[in-house]
Amino acid sequence: MIFLERIQSFFEIIGGMVSDPMSLVVLFASVLLGILFGAMPGLTSTLGVALLTALTYSMETPMAMICLLSIYVGGTYGGSYASILINIPGTAASAATALDGYPLACKGQGGRAIGLTTTASAIGTIISMLFVVSISPIISKFALQFTSFEFFLLAFFGILISGTLTAPDLVIKGWIMGFLGLFLACVGRDQLQFFPRFTFGISDLESGIEVVPVLIGAFGIPQIIGVLRDQSQMPKAKKLQRIMPEIGTILHNIPAIIRSALIGVGIGAVPGIGEDIAGWVSYGTAKNTSKHPETFGTGELKGVIASETANNACVGGAMIPLLNLGIPGSPPAAMLLGALMLHGVTPGPMITFEHPTFIREVAAILLLASIAMWITGMILAKQVVKILNIPTPLFMPIIGVLCIIGSYSLGLNIFNLFLMLPVGIICYFLTNMGYPIAPLVIGVILGPMADENLRRALMVSQGSFMPVFTRPVSLMLFLIIAWTLVCQFGWYKRMVTRVKELLFHRKKTN
Amino acid sequence: MIETEKLRKADIFTGAAVLLLGLFIISQGVQMPMKDSYAGVQNVWYVSPALLPLFIGATLSVLGAALISIALKAVGLGGLKNTLNYLGGADFTSFLRQPETIRFYGIVLNLIVFVFVLIPRIDFFAAAVIFLLMFFFMFYCGTTRQMVRLIWLNIGATILLCLFMFTGLADRIGNVVPFSADLLVVLYIILLIFTTYRQLAHDPQLLKKFRRSLIVAFVTPFTIGIIFKYFLLVPMPHEGLVVFLLDAVWYADFWS
Repeated sequence: MIFLERIQSFFEIIGGMVSDPMSLVVLFASVLLGILFGAMPGLTSTLGVALLTALTYSMETPMAMICLLSIYVGGTYGGSYASILINIPGTAASAATALDGYPLACKGQGGRAIGLTTTASAIGTIISMLFVVSISPIISKFALQFTSFEFFLLAFFGILISGTLTAPDLVIKGWIMGFLGLFLACVGRDQLQFFPRFTFGISDLESGIEVVPVLIGAFGIPQIIGVLRDQSQMPKAKKLQRIMPEIGTILHNIPAIIRSALIGVGIGAVPGIGEDIAGWVSYGTAKNTSKHPETFGTGELKGVIASETANNACVGGAMIPLLNLGIPGSPPAAMLLGALMLHGVTPGPMITFEHPTFIREVAAILLLASIAMWITGMILAKQVVKILNIPTPLFMPIIGVLCIIGSYSLGLNIFNLFLMLPVGIICYFLTNMGYPIAPLVIGVILGPMADENLRRALMVSQGSFMPVFTRPVSLMLFLIIAWTLVCQFGWYKRMVTRVKELLFHRKKTN
Repeated sequence: MIETEKLRKADIFTGAAVLLLGLFIISQGVQMPMKDSYAGVQNVWYVSPALLPLFIGATLSVLGAALISIALKAVGLGGLKNTLNYLGGADFTSFLRQPETIRFYGIVLNLIVFVFVLIPRIDFFAAAVIFLLMFFFMFYCGTTRQMVRLIWLNIGATILLCLFMFTGLADRIGNVVPFSADLLVVLYIILLIFTTYRQLAHDPQLLKKFRRSLIVAFVTPFTIGIIFKYFLLVPMPHEGLVVFLLDAVWYADFWS
């Protein structure tokens, strides 16, 4: 009965959105903006969501969510345009798409590839939406039993796993970035005793470091510096022919689409990892399970479908921990968390009580955004690709102005700009030296949660750490954290190799 | 990202910076109330505001030391010596003069001038036009030589502007001529456009780019600024001459 009521409420929400012309305009405009953002090399959906957060500040929460989620969905998909047509991934999430997308475009099948990725991305988002609706109540119920120890360990795990999986060079660098983020989150007066920490007498630091300017700085400024410094000339985009995909091809690829969507949802649900890794993992799986892996990299449709379905399915996956635990599943989701907090919505286990229909609203927006993305992709693809002809030195400075006005407008505070620029310049150097940005962002966002819950937990236990080992979920999280750490040590890797060798040797001799 | 060997050499320095940061956080953390009373509240260690900073500081110190050790294992003390020699040698000087490095100076200088000098003191629209024009003339229309010239022009104009504003001259002139600093920036914009036009006039291709730059540099701030100021009701960081004129137009009663 409750299930039917929920379905009815879900369709009522969809009906409400569809019947409101303003919502539809915002939905389509945001999806288009997201596609444009994703299509432009150097701009990402994270930056798009960050910049739009400033614009949506004065909107009602549902309208702001339509805007931000649509730009997230559109931005994740939009990266495929540049990957397929000019062999430069529009976003890191669509890097794997370029491997087979560009050869397809060279064969004169660019339109076909874009049509298929549009459809696959839309199906991927819809599948992930189904997971948001079905899994969220279970996770929420489970998370209600969490105490402060669990929340501290969860935040710590989010920072650690994000550092482990996103580090392009040494894992230790990912962890350093996570802890730097935690340090930034400590700046300002602490929430329990109101003691000023690391404020150095600067009154602007008393209320802490605002998340959005740090995020805009960390994601926007390095991109502006990097693109303009390298002055990479974009190749001429390949021409598009027929975009509408053949139904037969889609039906033939349905198993691959479902598998990739499941990979995307799974990876998206792990805190702080996101679309970039989902695309690669899905591409790798498609190649490994293919009967003809040698065709991958030469224009294989399955390769393009795998990476694009997974990165869009990641959007819904990232929403699961965000909405139920308050832990973002990806960098754009981290941005969304900041935006939600600005609108007075605190995601976490209590969300189903405080905002009973919120998760269904998010699911409805994801469904509508994926449909809007498909329609926009089919109708406007030929027009959107023209954006690839705009010279980067012309649009990058405009993004600079947007970053600056966006950072300023959230708190109407010029100090935010004084913070944003140094953070951006430091992040530029760190990115070049193999430090990932995502753990820093996750650290800044989860820092207050980690701090408050650690102290609250110890207050309840009178300074004892024993509940970590006596509570099953805590113990499980602690063991996962310990395993994540131990896995990186040389002696552990050597031990695993030795055990494998021993087992393998024994099997052989048997 | 730079190649692995160079990366390991750089890791020695970043590792040291992380280690020092960690030690600094610990040094600050130990000054926070641990067991003593703060604001009339008797503390216990487990609710101390120092708890997380100390944990972060200790972890960063360990991670920094670990990074140094990994880097030293990879390149050895010889690698560190080579890096120090490189930093003091002619190769580093030539690196500082490479076109990519000059472009980096141009970008960072432009951003710093915009954020720290122009935004807090000059009308947003005029500041944004200068910012965009500088970028377009440096990266869209210009060559590396022109960029160097523009960097010097930017430095010179910023120094003059700072002198004008910080010596009290702006206030004294401002009593007679309102928006004096904004007017100075408008003059700077005209000068910038004029000098760049003279440099590019010989090449029709560059002239086309110059015209396009002008259009985008003027249309963008007005589009973005008007959306934020009049539709989202976000006041500009500094409202001066242009906002005064825009207000006069926006709030003019056309029907009376």
